[in-house]
Amino acid sequence: MLALDDVHTYYGNIRALRGISLTVQPREIVTLIGANGAGKTTTLRTILGAVRPRRGTVTFNGQRLDGLATDRIVRLGIAQSPEGRRIFPRMTVLENLEMGAFARADREAIAPDLERVFTLFPRLRERTAQKGGTLSGGEQQMLAIGRALMARPSLLLLDEPSMGLSPILVDAIFKIVVDINRQGTTILLVEQNARMALRVAHRGYVIQTGRIVLQDAAADLLRSDLVRKTYLGEK
Amino acid sequence: MTARRGLGGFALAALLIGYPFLDRALGLQTVHAVSDGMIYVLLALGLNIVVGYAGMLDLGYAAFFAIGAYAMGLLNSPVLGSPLYGYAWSFWLCIWIAAAVSALLGTLIGAPTLRVRGDYLAIITLGFGEIIPVAIRNLGDVTVEIGGWRPVERLNLTGGENGVNPVGRPYLPGVPFETDPVPWYFLILVIGLFSLWAMSRLQDSRLGRAWMAIREDETAADCTGVNPISTKLLAFALGASFSGFAGSIYAAKLQAITPGAFEFQVSIMLLCMVVLGGAGSLKGVILGAMLITLFDRVVLAEATFFLRWLGRSLGVPLLVTADLTLWRWFFFGLGLVLVMLLRPQGLAGRRIRPMLVPDTDDAVEVAPPPAPRVEAIPGWLRERAHRVGAAAGTGPILEVRGLVKRFGGIVALNEIDLVVPRGSIIGLIGPNGAGKTTFFNVVTGLVRPDGGVITFEGRPLAGLRPNAIVARGIARTFQSIRLFANMTVLENVLVGEHCRLRSTVPGAVFRPPAVMAEEARARERARGLLAFVGLADKDGDLARNLPYGDQRRLEIARALATEPRLLLLDEPTAGMNPRETETLTELIGLVRRELALSVLLIEHDMQVVMTISDRITVLDYGTRIAEGTPAEIQRHPRVIEAYLGTGYEPAAPGGAI
Amino acid sequence: MEWWEVLVQQTINGLTRGAVFALIALGYTMVYGIVELINFAHGDVFMLGLFISLAWFTLLGVTTTLGPWQLITILPLVFLLTMLTTALLNVSIDRLAYRPLRRSTRLAPLITAIGVSFMLENLALLWKGPAPIAYPDVFPSVDILREWFGVESAIFVTTKDILVVGATIPLMIALNYFVTRTRWGKAMRATAQDRETAQAMGIDVERTILLTFFVGGALAGAAGVIQGMYYNIGMWWMGYQAGLRAFTAAVLGGIGNMPGAALGGLVIGFLSAWSDQYISARWTNAIVFSILILVLVFRPQGLLGDRTPEKV
Repeated sequence: MLALDDVHTYYGNIRALRGISLTVQPREIVTLIGANGAGKTTTLRTILGAVRPRRGTVTFNGQRLDGLATDRIVRLGIAQSPEGRRIFPRMTVLENLEMGAFARADREAIAPDLERVFTLFPRLRERTAQKGGTLSGGEQQMLAIGRALMARPSLLLLDEPSMGLSPILVDAIFKIVVDINRQGTTILLVEQNARMALRVAHRGYVIQTGRIVLQDAAADLLRSDLVRKTYLGEK
Repeated sequence: MTARRGLGGFALAALLIGYPFLDRALGLQTVHAVSDGMIYVLLALGLNIVVGYAGMLDLGYAAFFAIGAYAMGLLNSPVLGSPLYGYAWSFWLCIWIAAAVSALLGTLIGAPTLRVRGDYLAIITLGFGEIIPVAIRNLGDVTVEIGGWRPVERLNLTGGENGVNPVGRPYLPGVPFETDPVPWYFLILVIGLFSLWAMSRLQDSRLGRAWMAIREDETAADCTGVNPISTKLLAFALGASFSGFAGSIYAAKLQAITPGAFEFQVSIMLLCMVVLGGAGSLKGVILGAMLITLFDRVVLAEATFFLRWLGRSLGVPLLVTADLTLWRWFFFGLGLVLVMLLRPQGLAGRRIRPMLVPDTDDAVEVAPPPAPRVEAIPGWLRERAHRVGAAAGTGPILEVRGLVKRFGGIVALNEIDLVVPRGSIIGLIGPNGAGKTTFFNVVTGLVRPDGGVITFEGRPLAGLRPNAIVARGIARTFQSIRLFANMTVLENVLVGEHCRLRSTVPGAVFRPPAVMAEEARARERARGLLAFVGLADKDGDLARNLPYGDQRRLEIARALATEPRLLLLDEPTAGMNPRETETLTELIGLVRRELALSVLLIEHDMQVVMTISDRITVLDYGTRIAEGTPAEIQRHPRVIEAYLGTGYEPAAPGGAI
Repeated sequence: MEWWEVLVQQTINGLTRGAVFALIALGYTMVYGIVELINFAHGDVFMLGLFISLAWFTLLGVTTTLGPWQLITILPLVFLLTMLTTALLNVSIDRLAYRPLRRSTRLAPLITAIGVSFMLENLALLWKGPAPIAYPDVFPSVDILREWFGVESAIFVTTKDILVVGATIPLMIALNYFVTRTRWGKAMRATAQDRETAQAMGIDVERTILLTFFVGGALAGAAGVIQGMYYNIGMWWMGYQAGLRAFTAAVLGGIGNMPGAALGGLVIGFLSAWSDQYISARWTNAIVFSILILVLVFRPQGLLGDRTPEKV
């Protein structure tokens, strides 16, 4: 479904990605893990068109994404829950969710999707009129994922959903991630919390200073000690 | 080449000196207008200091013009009953007083307002530009009444709407400053040439470099030892004094000053001159001023005649009544728009472009950076290091206790303790958002802490500005390189020396031997540092054109130029290839060993951190979770957890929790 | 007049001035909120609104006071036509002069905006000449207190004051509805709060910006119509002063904050009326600009705005 081929991205004046190649098949959960500064978020930004790769291609269902404007890419069926949530702080929960559905052509189907999101995240239903900036970290993360789901994407990009959350919340969020995937959404999950990510994913890629250094089935990565060594700089 | 320039200079001088006599002989009668135009050139040059050198948009510059003119009026006019009026030396004294008054007013206005953001500052200057004419208009009849007591009754401070006239003229024995424009022409010419000379001297001085650095990147300049507020204030006050100077001469020449001459349009016309010519370039500003004056006084009128002639010849009544002089402000406005859209650096200015993205392609053969050699360490730096090292105590160079920083509801730093022993390399690591850069920002003074104590070499750092902290001996580099992109490599390093040099305005302009010696020494030192980091032949290159690895090393050279005793490096190897990383690591080690520097470094490249650090501190969500040697940290359970996640158990294949 | 009658009269004056300032200030604040640009030419769009509405009236053959039937048909029509014209004008200015500088520093578009301002003023000067133009008395001016209520009072309240309130309030209600209830209005707010994330929602940011300029320009045009019909006079240089006063209002209320702009407009309206009366009209400008300076230096977020710290 999604394929990156030898992507080099310059971010500011630093070369952040040095030849990234990865694939995501339909209905998979693929995770991209690595220490921070390694290039995980840059990879997502390249996919979404926020930055343009200098070299390499990004393909989605056969169509080239690199070079397209972000709003066009989103209309093709990709949605994102960004790093740090990026909730619209002065808009209500409901308005945030409505913004997630902004690009949809099938406006009649929005209401049932809203219901679906509230069922997944009952906490949000209790707070529809509350301003996004006043929500707790966990609620904001739920809102960010819910907002992305409102676009009814075929590919969902999750950027560090565990950041800043307590272990219990992280558990809850990842359970929901599995649920969403079971309901048919393909997921590319970028995480620093390697263990959680590898437990829910089917396959994993480990990225280090802009390069993929390990790739395998998630379970195998979880069992081996290689990930720890990579993260903590052992040779 | 020089012969041609000499000839050109001679021709120019001949033209300048001969012009008024030529005009008289030919009966052209343009000297008055040209002299007036030259006063505007003087004003534009003054505005150039503010806008071009220091990069501040000033929309109310005419206010200082007014202050200068009215100061002259107040001090030297019978209308306002001035005691100074009538002496031979009146004019010559009053122009200096007028300049000083303007400078003082500039300082008073600037001191509270210059720390405000650029576009807001522009509006504030516009506000003052409006307030001052209003005040002038209404202070022609001042009466103060307190209770029944009238200490001030019908005091005429400014002549109100009617303005002030006459104003005392300059006096030189044998030279009549009356209606004949020629003496005025030469007076203004001499003053203009002196101003040009002073300004070009200023541009190429410690102060000029500081202004350019602020214009390029104010925060980086602050963290390199340049005090942005006092430096900007100096530019503002200097610009104001030029304006005051010009205003006082204008008043004496015109013999009448009215508030209407100092309105917003005048400020904008001056801005047009500076923007069109090229902010920051003296030749550009003069060119811009000449073009605009020419356009305003000659081109529009001539074009009108032409159109009318055309109309009569072709029988088009619309053209016959055309008057292009009414389109004046339309063309000025259009000019501003076109310049900004098409050539923002003006006709002669330097293009201010953001940093180039250098192409660090592993596949292409890039010359490997020269390895740092012990012998290449500049003698003066080594000598200074040893002197300081001998005088220093044995306590830690940096001690942080209980540091707290909150941003709204988030605790970015939660009672952090950290110690940097003298001469050690300490690594600071942690996952995303752990607070590492915030820590650096607090220690270097960019951010104020909410609690805790920072002690450097035994003295607290509380409340100091970033540039003061640099002066104390802490230097830093930035994660995303913050060089002064459009300055040369050598100039970048010289800005680093700013806080260790002393010359200011008089020194820059008059260049006494002491200042010349100081500059020479500074350049020598800078070259030595560049040789040390491996940039020896690149003195004159623009920083933005350097390859990536060179840019990083230039940043370090600039930091070393501030003569620090503690170096804070923020992800120094980010984006580097393995070869460059290795060289940089060697450089850091060398610097610590030979120069007795202490280093605190943030890094994501774990290999680097583990290899180079003596000890490592680990932050997670603003809290210190571990501290120890690299080997200890690699096995520390909380660290592993922070980076890799909680609860290590082998699990079923993906999809189930 | 008794002292309290003077106060009431000046307060009414302040209200009518404040309404006009509020409409102009809204345009400033919306544009600044979304692109961080001080649209220096906005005041001149207001001035041109007055001039253009006069042209529309002339085109429709209106030269004297409107009759009751015309009040319901021609008046709203002229409002609409003028607002449309100024909206398109504002959009063109953005397209031609500001959009190419979207990625530039904050100062470059400000300089350009000043250039545009001068161009617009000069065009008005060439169009109608240097002298102030007389705006015909199209709106009937009836002394309400005397003729409707039979009250003999020194206070002068006319149907024109009703016009100002009657035109401004529905406009503000409509604007509020637009930004809080419609899809595009919400997209505008989202883009102002977080441009990159808005883009990731599929919002076309450039189109949203254009829409903002459109709405802002329309409001300025409406303000111009009201101004012309109320004061019956227009000057080609009025945009500069009105613009700066309205900008002060926007800053006072909190730049980027729409209720703030409305509030600021009212405050500046009152302040300028009271200053004219109790101090002197010659000093009012100085007072308003002093407020501007004080707010920008000591409380740049204004009364209702949030503090946004600069990122290092």
